[in-house]
Amino acid sequence: MKSSNNMVKIGIPRALLFYKFSALWITFFEELGAEIVISPITTKKIKDDAVKNAPDEDCYSTKLYFGHVLALKDKVDYLFVPRFGGRKKKYVGCPKFIGLAEVLKSMIPDLPPILMPHYNRGMDKNTRIGLVMRAYRLGRVVTINPFKRIKAIWRAFKALRIHNRELIIDEETLSRWEKSEIVLNDFPIYTLNQRVLKVALVGHSYVLNDPYSSLNIRSLMQEYGVDIITSEQMPRKFIENQMAKLEYDIYFDFEREILGTIMHFLETKTIDGIIHLMIFSCGPDSIAGEIASRFSKRDTVIPLLQLVFDELTGEAGMRTRIEAFVDMLRRSIEERVVLLPAKVHI
Amino acid sequence: MPLSFPYVGTFTYVFESIARGMRRDDVIVPHEPTAKTKQRGSSASSEFVCTPFKMLLGSIIEVIERGAYEIVATVFVDYCRLGYYSPLYKIILEDMGYEFDLINLDWFDKVDFFRSFKKLACNVNAIQAFQAFRVGWIKNRYIDLIDKLLYSYGAVEITKGTSYKTAHKLYRQVVETDGMKNIRQLPFIINKTFEDEVEIDEELKPLKVGIVGELYAVVEPAINLDIMRRLNDLGVVSYTPITFTRWIDLGQRMNPFKKWHYKACIRSAKPYVRYPLGGKTRESLGSVVEFKKEGWDGVIHLYPFTCMPEIISRSILPQVSKEHNMPVLSLVLDEHTGEAGIQTRLEAFIDLLERKRTDGGEK
Repeated sequence: MKSSNNMVKIGIPRALLFYKFSALWITFFEELGAEIVISPITTKKIKDDAVKNAPDEDCYSTKLYFGHVLALKDKVDYLFVPRFGGRKKKYVGCPKFIGLAEVLKSMIPDLPPILMPHYNRGMDKNTRIGLVMRAYRLGRVVTINPFKRIKAIWRAFKALRIHNRELIIDEETLSRWEKSEIVLNDFPIYTLNQRVLKVALVGHSYVLNDPYSSLNIRSLMQEYGVDIITSEQMPRKFIENQMAKLEYDIYFDFEREILGTIMHFLETKTIDGIIHLMIFSCGPDSIAGEIASRFSKRDTVIPLLQLVFDELTGEAGMRTRIEAFVDMLRRSIEERVVLLPAKVHI
Repeated sequence: MPLSFPYVGTFTYVFESIARGMRRDDVIVPHEPTAKTKQRGSSASSEFVCTPFKMLLGSIIEVIERGAYEIVATVFVDYCRLGYYSPLYKIILEDMGYEFDLINLDWFDKVDFFRSFKKLACNVNAIQAFQAFRVGWIKNRYIDLIDKLLYSYGAVEITKGTSYKTAHKLYRQVVETDGMKNIRQLPFIINKTFEDEVEIDEELKPLKVGIVGELYAVVEPAINLDIMRRLNDLGVVSYTPITFTRWIDLGQRMNPFKKWHYKACIRSAKPYVRYPLGGKTRESLGSVVEFKKEGWDGVIHLYPFTCMPEIISRSILPQVSKEHNMPVLSLVLDEHTGEAGIQTRLEAFIDLLERKRTDGGEK
C-alpha cells in the first residue's frame, strides 16, 4: 500500500518513548526515504478518545498513547510501535513498553500494520549488533537498498548522540547554574527585588515534555520567576554516583534518572526546591516516589513537592498547589541563601 | 534472634517446615492476614503501589510486633516491582521505628542465596541446612497436592466443610513429619485420608474452572477472598497451576523429562505476546489455550490493582477467549474488594458456564 507520491507513510505516536528517542526514530525513517506522520501534540480530543478506548487500569500516559494511535489510524500505511525492554544490561523499562504493540493490535482491530521491532538489552541479552541487525531488517519496509539502510542507521544513532549531548548539561554548567551565575531556560519573568528561584523538575520525559499531561507546568514556572532544571538534563555521572550510595540496584532505567536527581539535590542543597511529577498508577513511580519522599522526610532542608497527575486532574487545583509551593520557597529564601555552598566558600 | 516471615497462603507451611528442619525453635509463625493487616499495610505504604506490597508489609509489621527480629524476604530483578519490596520495607520499617533485620534471599544468585540461607541456619552445618531446604521443596509438593485435592473434593463433598477440615489436619501433619522415609509416605497418606474422610456425591458432574494470574493474588486467600473455596461452594472444581514449585523445587527443575505446564502455556501464548514482559503475562494468556485443550470449562484471571504485567494480559485476554471459545473472567483485587461484588460476579460466571455446557450438549 503506497500513497500517491509513492512514499511509505509511517506514523509515530507522540507519546511515551517518543520523547526519549524521537531524534533516533525520525532521522532513521527520514534517511530511508519514508514520509513520517507524527501525531499532534496532546489535545483534549485525544485525551477523551484515549480514556474511552484504553484499558481502565493503565496509567495515564499509556492511555494517552491510545489516543495518539487513534489520531494516526487512518492517515498512515504503517504504525511504528517499538517493543522496548531496556537499553543497558540489568536495567529494564516498564513492561508496558514491551506489551503495548500487542495490546494495540488486540484491542483496536482495524489498525494499519504495526512495525514492532523488539529490543531488550536488559533481560533478553540482546546485543548492540542485534539492534543494528533489527534496524536493518526493519528498513526493508521502506527501501530494499542496503546502503541506504546502513546509512540511515548510522545517521540515526549519530542524531541521537547529538540530541543527548545537547540535552544533558555538563558538570561545569551545572555548578555554575547552582551558583546562580547562569539560567538554563529562556529568562524567567521576574519582578524587581526578587531573586530567580532554582527548582528541579523531575519526572518521566513523556510527562515533562508533554504540555497537556503536565498541565503546562514549564511555562507556569517561568511565569512565577522560577528557573528549572529537569531530570533529563542532569549529568549522568551525578546520577550514577547517587545510585551507588544505595544498598540495592534501582533496575528501572528511567527511574534511576528521577531518583538520582532528587537524591543529588537533597544532598548538595544547592537549589530551592524539587517538584516531582508522577503519573497515577505508574508502577515504577510508586516505588521511586516513596523512596524519594522518605529520604526527603529524613533530610528536610530542601522541600519536595510530589504532584500526581491523571485524566481527572484539574488545572486550577494544580496551579494553587504550585503557587503555594513557590510562595513558600520565596518566604524561606533568606535562610536558604546561607546554606548555599557557593557562599560558604567565600 | 526470633525468625519470622510474611504470610503467603499455604506456602507458609513450607517456610515453617524449612525452619523446623534448620532446628530453629524460635520461629514466629505469622497469622492469616485480616482486615486489620490490610489496613496497617496500606496506611504505611505509598498510594498506588500494588496490593501484595501493602498486605505483605502489614503481615511483617504484625510479626515484628509479636517479637520477631530476623525477617525473611526476597529480592530479584524482573520487570515487576517485586525486587523493590525488600529495600522499601527496610526504609519504611526503619522510619516507623522498629528494630529488625531483613534477610534477602536472592534466588537468581544461587551462591548468595545459600550464603544468606546458611546465615539463617545458625544451629546446623551447611549440609544439614541444604537438607532442610530439600525437605522444604519436597514438602511443598505435598502441600500442593493437598491444595489440589481440597479444591476438587470440596466441590462434590456431601457435608460441606469436611474436606476443608481434613486438609487443615493434613497441612499440620505434613509440617510435623520428620525423616525422609516418613515424608515419602505422605502422598499415600494424603490420598487415603481424603478418600476415607470426605464423603462425595459420585453422581455429580461438576464444572471445572482453572485459576490463573498473578502469583500472590492466586495463592493468598486473604486477597482473593478465598475464591477457590467460593467456587467449591458453588459446586465447581477449581485448580491453579500457579504455585511456588517451579522456583523452589530444585529436584523437579533438574529433571529434564518433567513436563512443565507453564512452559507449554508460554508456547501457546506466542501469537499474542512474543517476548517475556514480567509477571505471569504469557502464562495467563497461554493457559486459556491449554485449559481449553484439556477440556476445562472456564478460566478465572486474578490480578492485584496496578499490577503492570497483568494489565497487559487483561487487555489481550478478551481476544484469546474469543478465538478459542473459552469463557474468561478477569477480576481486579485490592484491599477494598468487597465480598458481595466478587460473589455476584462468580455466580453470574458459573451460570454462564452451566448454560454453555447444556447448550453445547444439545448441539
